[in-house]
Amino acid sequence: MPMPFAPATTSKMLRSIVPKCQQQATAVAATAARQCPRRSLSTTTARAQQPCRPTASTTKASQRCLRAFPSTPSTYNNSAAHQRRYRHKTVEEAKSRYRTGPFSWKAGVLFVLAGGGLVWYFEFEKQRMQRKRVAEATKGVGRPKVGGDFLLQDQNGKPFGSADLKGRYSLVYFGFTHCPDICPEELDKMAQMFDLVEAERPGQLVPVFVTCDPQRDDPATLKTYLSEFHPRFVGLTGTYEQIKDVCKAYRVYFSTPRDVKPGQDYLVDHSIYFYLMDPEGDFVEALGRQHSPDAAAKVILDHVKDWRGPIKQ
Amino acid sequence: MGIFDYFSSAETKRADEVRKGAVAPDRSERKKCWEARDQFYGCLDKHNVIDSLNGDGKKTAEKECAPENKQFEQDCAAAWVTYFKKFRVADYQKRRPSSG
Repeated sequence: MPMPFAPATTSKMLRSIVPKCQQQATAVAATAARQCPRRSLSTTTARAQQPCRPTASTTKASQRCLRAFPSTPSTYNNSAAHQRRYRHKTVEEAKSRYRTGPFSWKAGVLFVLAGGGLVWYFEFEKQRMQRKRVAEATKGVGRPKVGGDFLLQDQNGKPFGSADLKGRYSLVYFGFTHCPDICPEELDKMAQMFDLVEAERPGQLVPVFVTCDPQRDDPATLKTYLSEFHPRFVGLTGTYEQIKDVCKAYRVYFSTPRDVKPGQDYLVDHSIYFYLMDPEGDFVEALGRQHSPDAAAKVILDHVKDWRGPIKQ
Repeated sequence: MGIFDYFSSAETKRADEVRKGAVAPDRSERKKCWEARDQFYGCLDKHNVIDSLNGDGKKTAEKECAPENKQFEQDCAAAWVTYFKKFRVADYQKRRPSSG
């Protein structure tokens, strides 16, 4: 007797999807179906399944499968509707679909990439905003002003002022040539920092050394002294009053005795920070002993890269 | 003796100027000074002296580390010698709380 409601594919599907205990049920259902054709299949199967207590997923799978099975004559005769109801081409596809749900490795990769990208972007923007806040903390009205206009003499005896620093970033350090241990170390560090920045952004940073000891450090002394550290260093000196004003503008503490007898030796106590100034002459950040040359160069480079204003080439 | 005398006297003169602080020491002179300082520090460490300027420390340093001290004073500016001797004390006091 032909079975119009149970084509070969359907019975195969039923057998392959439902595991063991349901296979018996299916067998029962098949016999039941054979005995009482039409419409009786699903109800019979459902009843027959009950004692087996299958797991949730297999129940769902079998139910789904049975639901896909056309239960009314009008539906299974209509072939277009028939195909629409089968969403999966093969049994294996249906199986994996129900095992993993809507997730696949492609979705996973996409999720991780999108998530990683967003995290990176937010971190990048956060750091940029922090640098911007640091850089702009001294701009505008009502901010503490570090730095300012000055006019001194460079190591060649030529006048050199704050106007000569405009248009480029500058790294300003205060010291004196008779400095016993800290300044030479810091100046060596400054030379390394400068080389690192120069390698990436040539000509955009001017290293400046301002003496706190103008009495002994004349241009010639500065020239000899600085040439041992870096040929590009700009050394500035002036009169005691001029130096005092510059130190005051940069909030640098120093203790040079004012009237020293000729030939008397003394040391100068002074602040030991590098002052990073932007192309407009505004203070950006102070770099101290805690920064390694690499770390300091990175801080400088990050600010240089952030700068959107004009830069002198 | 002629030219040798001239050279040696120029060198002595320069060292003398450095010691008095008339000229700033250059890189090699700084290095020489720091080496002499470390020798002196090493001697003080050996005799457990921190402050070589006052009290018992001064006595021990004068007795035990006289040659190192002489070399130190020879290679460094006088102001530096005092500075480094004071710095040793300040540095020790700064480190003491953290090292227990």
